[in-house]
Amino acid sequence: MSGFLLIARNDVKRQFVQPFAWVVLALTCALLAWQFLVALDAYLRIVPKLANVPNSQGATDLIAIPLLRSLSGLLMLIVPLATMRSLAGERRNHSLPLLLAAGIGNLRIVLGKFLGAYALVALVVVIALAMPLALHFGTDMDLGRLAAAALGLLLYAGALTAIGIACSAWTSHPALAAAAALVIGSFLAMLDMGARFQGIDNALINWLSLSTHLEPFLFGLVASVDIVYFLLLTTLALLFAGRRLDGLRAHG
Amino acid sequence: MNIPAPVLSLSHVSRRLSGNTIVEDLSLDVPRGVVLGLLGVNGAGKSTTLRMMVGMLTPSTGTVFVEGRDLASHPQLARRGIGYLPEEPPLHGELTVEEYLRFCARLHGIGRDKVHQAVEQAIARCELGEMRHRLTSLLSKGFRQRVGLAQAIIHEPSLIVLDEPASGLDPIQALRLRELMRSMAKDCAVVLSTHVLSDVLACCDRVAILHRGRLRKTAPLSEIAALESEFVRIASESPSMESAA
Repeated sequence: MSGFLLIARNDVKRQFVQPFAWVVLALTCALLAWQFLVALDAYLRIVPKLANVPNSQGATDLIAIPLLRSLSGLLMLIVPLATMRSLAGERRNHSLPLLLAAGIGNLRIVLGKFLGAYALVALVVVIALAMPLALHFGTDMDLGRLAAAALGLLLYAGALTAIGIACSAWTSHPALAAAAALVIGSFLAMLDMGARFQGIDNALINWLSLSTHLEPFLFGLVASVDIVYFLLLTTLALLFAGRRLDGLRAHG
Repeated sequence: MNIPAPVLSLSHVSRRLSGNTIVEDLSLDVPRGVVLGLLGVNGAGKSTTLRMMVGMLTPSTGTVFVEGRDLASHPQLARRGIGYLPEEPPLHGELTVEEYLRFCARLHGIGRDKVHQAVEQAIARCELGEMRHRLTSLLSKGFRQRVGLAQAIIHEPSLIVLDEPASGLDPIQALRLRELMRSMAKDCAVVLSTHVLSDVLACCDRVAILHRGRLRKTAPLSEIAALESEFVRIASESPSMESAA
């Protein structure tokens, strides 16, 4: 097994032998399930009226997409918590030398840490998706749109995870890493909203925002520019984390 | 006479940090079968030297060779032959001793089919049998040190680097550790840093005395008749005396 997969697998194991991962999963599931059931209840009440409206919105628009949009907000909080100890915790526990002194390159260490944290985050996304998918047994869901939203959320979660890993590489204090990841993630997510508030609609600042690139996926639009944006952001953050480990070797 | 090639070779290695010289022009060879004690007072540059030996820190100048491979040019290959125990054992507190050693074995490149054997051997050598199912976070200082040592030797490296391995151990544990180091040195080179003279006297073949980042003396232990007085003399030298020397 490759070094980074080994690190990833070990990190997943370490996460799930602690209560933290289970608590995060339980709280997220409870919160999303509550929202899901409230939306479902409201939908069932208006369904008879919707039947008489031509081109009315369905369960995908009224239940699934709002739920997934809420998930994107929740991920902003969950991801910094999932990534904060990835490298900062290793430094704090004096266990980073184990990885640095093994015959594994810095980028592979970072990639392993990224995959280890991403496994938990992706699991949250998958669980959230299972809720609207369960409705497919009783009604017609727009599966294509759900698939696009799933892809968008997984890419979005990947970018946030990479930012979290970069912050975790930057400091040896997990709490500081989480705070930095939260600030950077929120800033990137709210850039578009802030720019629009100032009347800027179609500029670079709007393009830089995470939400600008997530929204098309939630509407079922898969554009290569959005995929490239998320992959680029993920790569840049991971390279930054790798550079930080290079710096630790060079400067101690 | 056939002189064996050194497992570890440091050639004019220096390390500067923020304008301060931590280690200066250090050259050193350690052949197989030798336990080298790196002796020095706190702040002498021992840990920095060890971290450069294992590739955790890049030298400002100079070269580190492990089994003839330049650690800077072939870092991953060279590091495979090194076992390192830092001053604080690098444990994963969430894992049991056995799980942790399995991970270390795989991390050091041991194939899946040989992991079990390697873990069993390391557990036996470090006498961890009774603790194998305990979480590493629940172990005493002595057992934590042993687990740290087990991860350093699990892949049978040709060079074992130990930073203050006996610190915090009780006399019995320290004695066991010394015996273990002696037995390990049969097949590889061992470098250990310490400021405890009795550690050096008990298990080292050679001693290198480091003071203010400079190698002040290196010789077989047998040639330093009064190691204690030599160490005290070097350690108490003022900077002006050093430059004169």
